[in-house]
Amino acid sequence: MKQKSSKNSLFKSKIKPFIDKNQKSLVFWGFLAPALFAFTMTIIIPFFLGFYYSFTNWRGFGTPDFVGFANYARLFNGTGAEGVRFLYSLTITFIFAIFNIILLNVIAFSLALLVTRGLKFQNFYRVGFFLPNLIGGIVLGYLWKFIFNSVVTDVSLFFMPEPFLMLADRDTAILAISLTWGWQYAGYLMMIYVTAIQNIPQDVVEASSIDGASAFQRIRHILLPMVAPAFTVTLFLTLINSFKQFDVNFALTDGGPSTQVAGLSIWGTKLISMYILDTYQVSLNPALAQAQAVVFFVILTLISLAQVTYNKRKEVEA
Amino acid sequence: MKKFGFFAGSVLSLAALAGCGGSQASTLYVLQNKPEIDTAMKEFGELFAEEKGVDVKITSCGGDLCQLGTQLQADIAAGEAPDIFVIDGIPAYEQYKDMILDLSNEVWVDDTDVAFSYDGKVFGFPVAIEGWGMAFNKDLIDEYNALPNTVDIVIDDLNTYGAYQTAFAALDAKKTDLGIDSVVSMAGGASGMSWVTNDHNFNSLLSAGLEYGDLSVVEDLLEGNVAPHADRLNQYSNWVNLLFQYADQNVLKTGGYDQQVGAFANEKAVFLHQGNWVEPFLANAEATFERGFAPHGALTTKTDGIFVAAPSWYVVNKQATPARQQLALDFLEYMATTPEGHDYMVNGAGNIPAFKSVELSPTAPLSVSVQEWAAEGKIYSWSQYYFDGAFRYDTLGPIYTARANGTITAQVFLTQLRTALESYPEFLENK
Repeated sequence: MKQKSSKNSLFKSKIKPFIDKNQKSLVFWGFLAPALFAFTMTIIIPFFLGFYYSFTNWRGFGTPDFVGFANYARLFNGTGAEGVRFLYSLTITFIFAIFNIILLNVIAFSLALLVTRGLKFQNFYRVGFFLPNLIGGIVLGYLWKFIFNSVVTDVSLFFMPEPFLMLADRDTAILAISLTWGWQYAGYLMMIYVTAIQNIPQDVVEASSIDGASAFQRIRHILLPMVAPAFTVTLFLTLINSFKQFDVNFALTDGGPSTQVAGLSIWGTKLISMYILDTYQVSLNPALAQAQAVVFFVILTLISLAQVTYNKRKEVEA
Repeated sequence: MKKFGFFAGSVLSLAALAGCGGSQASTLYVLQNKPEIDTAMKEFGELFAEEKGVDVKITSCGGDLCQLGTQLQADIAAGEAPDIFVIDGIPAYEQYKDMILDLSNEVWVDDTDVAFSYDGKVFGFPVAIEGWGMAFNKDLIDEYNALPNTVDIVIDDLNTYGAYQTAFAALDAKKTDLGIDSVVSMAGGASGMSWVTNDHNFNSLLSAGLEYGDLSVVEDLLEGNVAPHADRLNQYSNWVNLLFQYADQNVLKTGGYDQQVGAFANEKAVFLHQGNWVEPFLANAEATFERGFAPHGALTTKTDGIFVAAPSWYVVNKQATPARQQLALDFLEYMATTPEGHDYMVNGAGNIPAFKSVELSPTAPLSVSVQEWAAEGKIYSWSQYYFDGAFRYDTLGPIYTARANGTITAQVFLTQLRTALESYPEFLENK
């Protein structure tokens, strides 16, 4: 009797937890494995391979030779037209990203405020704003290309003698990319804000209205600090995705129209992703493209780390 | 490479183990670059597949949606390189020469003048001959000539800058009578259309008025030696400005292929700056008007010919298994030597065949026009591909687009063009 009970307690205290623990880890690894496998094959391995290729003279196939930092040296000492183009693409991408981050978040946050005010049909609006997010970027690009090239032009004739060709000017073409993409992405960001706004404890809001806070004060001192975690996420998403913007850029403008920089005509809306791809497929220089991609990766990592650290500090607990 | 070989080897042995045998290839993979002949080529592929009892997989990758080079590299990287793919000239050949099979001993080689040769050996099967010039709508020109108080436009005289200048101005004055939006349908190079300007139009500078295969201008320009041809460049830039001036500005500044060719198909423009490959599009749009090609007016002197060549060649992948290589060779021979192949090239794909033994003639009017110009020997070379692709697209392309959008003046356009050409040796050095 006594023996049995001690055995039992041993089982309870040592063996069962061990099995439980391993069962958990079995389940854990079992579920993780497929995703981990896919992630390793499509992200991790290509990432390190690409890193390696950036130090070689790889041509897209065959065995490359090691060339050290030659590709990087070329990037940073880029003289003449090539240097101008690379710097221009980086600059225009920064400008696009900053503009886009502000535009998208202002739109998304405003929409989120609208659809959490208890309007009639507000769920319908939420779905409506979110829906464009389900359309792929390429399709979206061609769709809006038609709108900018055929609809906007016809409508503009009511207001001006010549049709307004949005994609024929560098500045408005960049704006067109931003609008098109904003139309798609703002709904998604809106949903993040909506969730955050709905999670604000009502007692805090009530307390503030009892204390006589105005609507503006409520937004400034309650809403904004309370949804700060959402800002961390949305700013991160818009930042990363603005810098990486490719599909709408490709389908809508394909780099055009051209612009004048340092006395040269160069493609005006070639954001950095497209620039890197063109180094690969037009200049046929995959190794240099890899070096550009690595530099781009480092810049993006630094910026997004800085952003997340900054935003984390602004978050408050309810 | 070793690793790749090992991988390919293990895949092959797996295939053999699975009971495929090995000596007889069962699949032929063709990667080609003309989306507009996709359907016809697949139908032809079916014929060959039935004949040989194999599978034929044809992938079409071209136009402004898909880049053949990218697809090819992706396929190679994936270990699924095509057995037959397309090259468009010497740079492409040089890039892929490690995988291109010598075709010198094929039976069809003696049957054509435009096979792709390099160092005295034949490597490429000519897909077709193609040509471009100023495609004109004869019905609209006749309609114009029937109007009162106008200068007569004689199509046969459209071969100098001056003749075009007069004709464009005259037609432009009667736009409303003719129901057209513009005289010319021209793309300025934005929205992925820069090949129209920095490839096709640019070639006028290189070969208009010169004997077929004359590379004198090209060779000087490749060395950055523009001075001897400054006058030619000046005349050429006037031609570009003339085309841009009389083009529909929407199409010129922002239009894609559909908009450019569509304007001509819908009789909204009298002239179209494109080649005979637009015929399937015109057929789709049910364009019935009489049409043909007139020469470009790139020079003030007479240039009585249009630009004709084999634009691309099929090449066989010599890294494929011997059985698949044989299948690829059989496929090309089947195309060049059988009635089915001839029917496909002429009637299916609407191509102007590059083989002398083909007795069929194309039916599409613009193709007939190219064949007629070629038969008279009034043709000029395609020399644009002597210049690097990145130079044409990244350096020349934006210059044309800037002029099309009016960002730069005609004078700046000329200066930038000249500076760009003078810097070509430097560009190559840095590449």
